[in-house]
Amino acid sequence: MGSVAVNRRGSLQEQVEDLAVEAVTFHGDADPVERLPGIRPNPSAPPKEPPEMSFAQDPELVSEFLVETREHMANVEKQLLVLEQNPADTEAVHAVFRAFHSTKGVAGFLELRNVGEFCQEVETVLDRVRTGAMRATPEVIDLILEAVDWVRLAATQIEQSQPDGRAAPELLARIRSLAGRGQPAIALPAPPDASALPPSVTPDGSPRAVKIDTAKLDYLVEMAGELVIAHSMVQHNPALAEIAEPSLLQGLAQLSRVTTEVQRTVMGMRMVPISTLFDRMERLVRELTRKSGKKAELQVTGGETELDRNIVEELSEPLVHMIRNALDHGIESPAERAASGKNPIGQVGLSASHLAGQILVGVSDDGRGLDRDKILQKAVACGLASAGAELSDEEVFEFIFHPGFSTADRVTDVSGRGVGMDVVRKKLQALRGRMHIESTRGKGTWLLAKLPLTLAIIDGMLIGVGAERYVVPVSAVREVLRPVPEACHTLRGGEFVMIRGSALPLVRLARAFAVPGAVEDPCAGLLIVVESGLEKRCLLADRLVGIQEIVIKSLAESVKHIPGISGSAILGDGHVSLILDIDGLLGHEVTY
Amino acid sequence: MTVAVEIAPIDKTVPNSPRTGKYLTFRLDHEEFGIEVKKVREIVGLQHITPVPHAPRYLRGVINLRGKVIPVIDLRRKFDMADVTYGERTCIIVVWAQTAAGPVLGGLIVDSVSEVLHLDESDVEDTPDLGPRGPLNCFIGLSKAKEHVKILLDVDQVLATDPMPGRSD
Repeated sequence: MGSVAVNRRGSLQEQVEDLAVEAVTFHGDADPVERLPGIRPNPSAPPKEPPEMSFAQDPELVSEFLVETREHMANVEKQLLVLEQNPADTEAVHAVFRAFHSTKGVAGFLELRNVGEFCQEVETVLDRVRTGAMRATPEVIDLILEAVDWVRLAATQIEQSQPDGRAAPELLARIRSLAGRGQPAIALPAPPDASALPPSVTPDGSPRAVKIDTAKLDYLVEMAGELVIAHSMVQHNPALAEIAEPSLLQGLAQLSRVTTEVQRTVMGMRMVPISTLFDRMERLVRELTRKSGKKAELQVTGGETELDRNIVEELSEPLVHMIRNALDHGIESPAERAASGKNPIGQVGLSASHLAGQILVGVSDDGRGLDRDKILQKAVACGLASAGAELSDEEVFEFIFHPGFSTADRVTDVSGRGVGMDVVRKKLQALRGRMHIESTRGKGTWLLAKLPLTLAIIDGMLIGVGAERYVVPVSAVREVLRPVPEACHTLRGGEFVMIRGSALPLVRLARAFAVPGAVEDPCAGLLIVVESGLEKRCLLADRLVGIQEIVIKSLAESVKHIPGISGSAILGDGHVSLILDIDGLLGHEVTY
Repeated sequence: MTVAVEIAPIDKTVPNSPRTGKYLTFRLDHEEFGIEVKKVREIVGLQHITPVPHAPRYLRGVINLRGKVIPVIDLRRKFDMADVTYGERTCIIVVWAQTAAGPVLGGLIVDSVSEVLHLDESDVEDTPDLGPRGPLNCFIGLSKAKEHVKILLDVDQVLATDPMPGRSD
């Protein structure tokens, strides 16, 4: 299949070079050439021999293999943890065996000999466990986990078009000794013979599904966004209001329904359950407790909660930091726990749920909790808070997210907790998420991240400033109000507004963005109270245009890094509107 | 069946005369300019431009090109010419440029579009040294063909503009 396309393309190329006329050529009988991004054959490469083409060179098959292998390995990891809890769980052993068996089969098929042979070795060990000749001891599980890591590494190498390397002899030797074959005196076994082909199919009733290249999926999501914009442009066209033709209106209503449905479905296609991420955390907890000598259990709830796969990927790093913090600094040693009357096995909770169009991801522990006094002391020492300030618990705990605070904290080991918490907050902010923290001394800590379901669409508040319109993410808006003159004050050129007892700095958007003809008097315009972290400010706008779903468009490189602007959107009338970056606007480095 | 073919093999036939080829010419003030046709994606009429705060003066803003948001450069401002009120014939030439960040689309606002010309290497002369003031890297050369002098622009350089203020990287 692939080779034919290459060949045809080659000949077409030659014809074009012969003609050497225009960039676009009409060619009557040419079949449409497969043009998937990433697997496009190099046009300058010599055409490959069609008859003896190996499957190993089919990039599509290889990439499918890589996807499957990673899924298998994730499943193996999960099953091993089950097995560790219950070594007699034969179903888990079978599942692990099947995963390595399938990987071996396909690897052999694709002539990835080292991977195939490696999996065969692992399979031999698993076979002994399966038949009851050996028990699933922690050593066996550790070794299989190492094997999983190696297969993943090999997959990455193959992906980068490197040959799949040999496994470390030391690892192989250990696997072989478990397989009961002693020292590897003989060379590796021959590659699987033809009887091993085609790859075995796992019989467990997996849902009917097709695999789609994520680039295609992202393109589809983008196009669905386009459809929404185009639909809205038609619907809001003033010329339409003058047409009172029932059939047209009926057709439009139908189009509206279909558009919404298409968009909803397409967005849903990119949703994956968060368990893909949570499963990895189980292994993390296992390794961390092993290293530290502490005892802890991970309780996972809401793993089936779905969210955009792009967010899932970005969430991995902050989650690792949060779990690590809970274990390193939250959970006490078994002796310490026993002394304070707690269960010696610490409980770490990982949860996910949907709430009002947002997703909540929580990490909790029943450890020692945050030490409010020490954090405050530290904050005062760092100049973040003034001595004797009346601060709420939340305001105090907020300091642990402060960059620099955490490292200083670690050196002196004042309260524990805080390693990389600034990284957590930065990452979450980049995802337009917010962080909430609660802690009780001696009882534990609860970190809650609120995230949008998707990165492609936001609820936007459209505001007018002069002749321009800007989008404010609704998630950042706390309230919209028109102040009375007595509430507006100026102090040495800096303006602020008193709102319910708090003094909020005023940001004149027109001045910040040099927009002419905007409202000057705050009492004649509108104040949009926005929040970033725990900091609130009022943005002065002329008017509120409305609230709508906004499809986010990234900005070109040359206009990407403007302070206070995070992206753009196309409005119903086809005009471009810029999306405000509230964190950037409120950031200390940007002063207006 | 239409099959779009990469431009690369055609270029190979004329490896020693990179300036030979078709040029789209346009007018700015009293000067005639040219850009390579293969860099042009389309020509669109003037439309609503959303200004971008803190951008260089010549960067008029961004437009919606059928769902893509692209930056638009006012070439008069780029070349320090006086502003004019945009008129009937003002248009935006949408071009592809190769930049450090990969291929990008951008719009160039010009007074009016003239014609498409074929130029041979022998028609093109190097641009004179205008001293330190001239943004010389924007030009490929000068064409003497057809009585009028035409200034040939290097689109990649026109769009690979100065970094934005406040850029983080």
